[in-house]
Amino acid sequence: MASLACRVFRIKDPFLRVTHGLTATASSATVTLTTDGFMPVAQFVRTIKSSTWFDEHLTEDSAKFMRREVFEDFKQMTAEKLNPLKDEPWPRHEWEEGSRRVGLIAVKLGMMPIWTKSGERHVVTMLQVKECNVVKHLSKEEHDGVRPALLVGGKNCSPFQKSEEAVELFRNAGVPPKQKLSTFRVTENALIKPGTPLYAAHFRPGQYVDVTAKTIGKGFQGVMKRWGFKGQPATHGQTKTHRRPGALGPGGDPAKVWKGKKMPGQMGNRFKTELGLKVWRVNNRFNILYVHGSVPGHRNCLVKVQDTTLPQWAAQAKSLPFPTYFRDGDDVLAEDLYDDDMIQYAPQEEEATAA
Amino acid sequence: MAACTRRAAEVLCSFRTFRQIQHQNERFISTSLTHHAVTGDGQPPKFTPPPKPVIVDKTKYDAPQRRFLSPEFIVPRSRTSGLKFIAERRDMIKRRKTLNIPEFYVGSILAVTMKDPYASGNVNRFVGICTQRSGSGLGATFILRNIIDGQGVEICYELYNPRVQAIEVLKLEKRLDDNLMYLRDALPEYSTFDFNMKPVPHNPSADVPINTVKVRMKPKPWSKRWERPKFNVQGIRFDLCLTPEQMQHAQKWAQPWQEFDMLKHHDTEHLKEAILKEVEAKLRK
Amino acid sequence: MRDWSITSLLIARCQSNNTACLVQQQDFDHRDERTHEALKRGAMALKCIGTVLFELASGAQYRAFSVSAAAAAIQKMTRVRVVDNSALGNTPYHRPPRVIHVYTKNGVGKVGDRVLLAIKGQKKKALIVGHKMPGPTMTPRFDSNNVVLIEDNGNPTGTRIKVPVPTHLRKMEGDYSKLLAIAQKFV
Repeated sequence: MASLACRVFRIKDPFLRVTHGLTATASSATVTLTTDGFMPVAQFVRTIKSSTWFDEHLTEDSAKFMRREVFEDFKQMTAEKLNPLKDEPWPRHEWEEGSRRVGLIAVKLGMMPIWTKSGERHVVTMLQVKECNVVKHLSKEEHDGVRPALLVGGKNCSPFQKSEEAVELFRNAGVPPKQKLSTFRVTENALIKPGTPLYAAHFRPGQYVDVTAKTIGKGFQGVMKRWGFKGQPATHGQTKTHRRPGALGPGGDPAKVWKGKKMPGQMGNRFKTELGLKVWRVNNRFNILYVHGSVPGHRNCLVKVQDTTLPQWAAQAKSLPFPTYFRDGDDVLAEDLYDDDMIQYAPQEEEATAA
Repeated sequence: MAACTRRAAEVLCSFRTFRQIQHQNERFISTSLTHHAVTGDGQPPKFTPPPKPVIVDKTKYDAPQRRFLSPEFIVPRSRTSGLKFIAERRDMIKRRKTLNIPEFYVGSILAVTMKDPYASGNVNRFVGICTQRSGSGLGATFILRNIIDGQGVEICYELYNPRVQAIEVLKLEKRLDDNLMYLRDALPEYSTFDFNMKPVPHNPSADVPINTVKVRMKPKPWSKRWERPKFNVQGIRFDLCLTPEQMQHAQKWAQPWQEFDMLKHHDTEHLKEAILKEVEAKLRK
Repeated sequence: MRDWSITSLLIARCQSNNTACLVQQQDFDHRDERTHEALKRGAMALKCIGTVLFELASGAQYRAFSVSAAAAAIQKMTRVRVVDNSALGNTPYHRPPRVIHVYTKNGVGKVGDRVLLAIKGQKKKALIVGHKMPGPTMTPRFDSNNVVLIEDNGNPTGTRIKVPVPTHLRKMEGDYSKLLAIAQKFV
């Protein structure tokens, strides 16, 4: 909490920022400020001792320069990756039975309602595919000896927040450092060259996806909240037994508590996968996926989206872009792709003119 | 709203002109007959059309129209990415291009026509007073209340639901409160409205009139303790149903420090102005 | 005691559409003239209260005691209002009709569910045609818990439903077509 407060101060209040700079560097600015009549009113106290902010020992100009340069650098890197002629692309293969494509990393934006043509209302989660690139190819031997894998990163972040090895990884791929990295097991024919950007159009409306994310942490919880146990009555002679689990199982014969017994413990803050969520709509302008229902994780968290593993939707894989959708390819998509069953308010041509 | 008024004005105008024409015809027939009688020799007199009636449309105003931003456009204060609201607003504007969602407030009387596969003619029309507006973004709703055959009925409508075919404002006004849920506990005459009510014309450039009626309540118990400070209800005649002691007692739940909680302040003025500009520009396109 | 009878009179005056209470009282007055017995008068006052209570429970506009909350649609022991014109549902009785069973899997009744009523000391089936708890959006919510008495085969007991019923009740057109035919208004 204290560290959070510090951060807020640091960003919001220029005056406190200056005082912070003073205490950290004890530069000649102290003199000028004090002569101007500004006295440092609040002493800034750091709570995190292990790491440093990148601009901690930089002058304000240098920090500004760094920010601008890094941004330009990232932009250029991303733009270079969009150019198909820069390097020899990897060979593309055809889809065949049992192929498995790569997935995406997306930011959870929030939820909104949609309506189907039969008049039903559904809620969808908006997932923004943000700065998603393939970062590394792990061959079969490197990965697990069964299948190759692709490392995919999403959402650019500061290189100062990454370790030297991680930055090296991104540098090799020629992409800016990413906040999240995920491994996707793919088949040999679905390999994509590292550095390739991935878009929301990788998924198409009507298909089903699995979404994995870390659920919201609830802390250490009792059985009533964690497992929905009923608890005990409030009165009728209960002594200190209202929300307790009761018996843990049979006595003499097994003479043990069965494995997997539902007990109190940490709730949430673990990875969870929602299986078989329908994609209702894909926005190609903002790279937003509209996925049916709720998705694990809090707002703005990074989620992993991939084609569903449920066997009943295995047939859908044939009609999807394989191995992924390349924006610099020849097929130009509309701004919004809708599921056939979903109501659209404006006709497609109006859409095109608006874009 | 403005479009709605204009349409109503057009209908009125056409009606008036129709009546005018009828009158002219009658006069024309009668005058021609008398002329026939006078001249007599088969030479009909040359018809001179009467001067065209000048229709003064009293519902049209020169003053600039009132600007209005529907409350569901206002972005709630949260850590949600702005892109979510931008994408949602685009959808809302798209819907508004196909359906005229007029300006209305809590306290206005509305008529909503919606598609209903189970109603006769597949169309369901309901008239009532708007008692609550809630939700932001595409999921915004409003509640209409009316008393039909002595039975209180409320319907919660989704503003952007494609089943809604028309929203018509019959009477545009505000009340003393932003939430009229207390009408459930008020005398029935305060929420009884005629289904065949004629739209009351309103001035699109002046301020929205505020109806300062204070309602009389049924005897307690009510669905909520409306006298409690957290509801801050202005539109109830508490003097008729509660003693001064009871009113004093209700102040026990007052939380006078809340208004000084700076974290609860959300100044939306700038936000509103920017969103209004965007919405107006896109709707005009 | 006196307060109650005053309230009852007031209520009777206010309720012009439902004259049962008034009639009842006039009836008592006649008897009163005939007998002049204080004891009987007391009993009459009690009956009067019973009538008032019944009126109040059956969705009258002025209620003076707490009725079932809107929290869980219609469940066992919910006091309901009979909205058809059947004799059983409209004759005054000192106890409001209560739901004693809901024929659903979870024990919660919504619009279109059958319930079993305890009404005037007998058991009777009824169909829920509106409740206080808000249902899905775009569907009406009513200010009282309304039911229509039905026979075991689904035919209505009364010949007229006095209040509007929701249109989505028509989903079950086949089972309750006779009941829907006697409805006067849909919302």
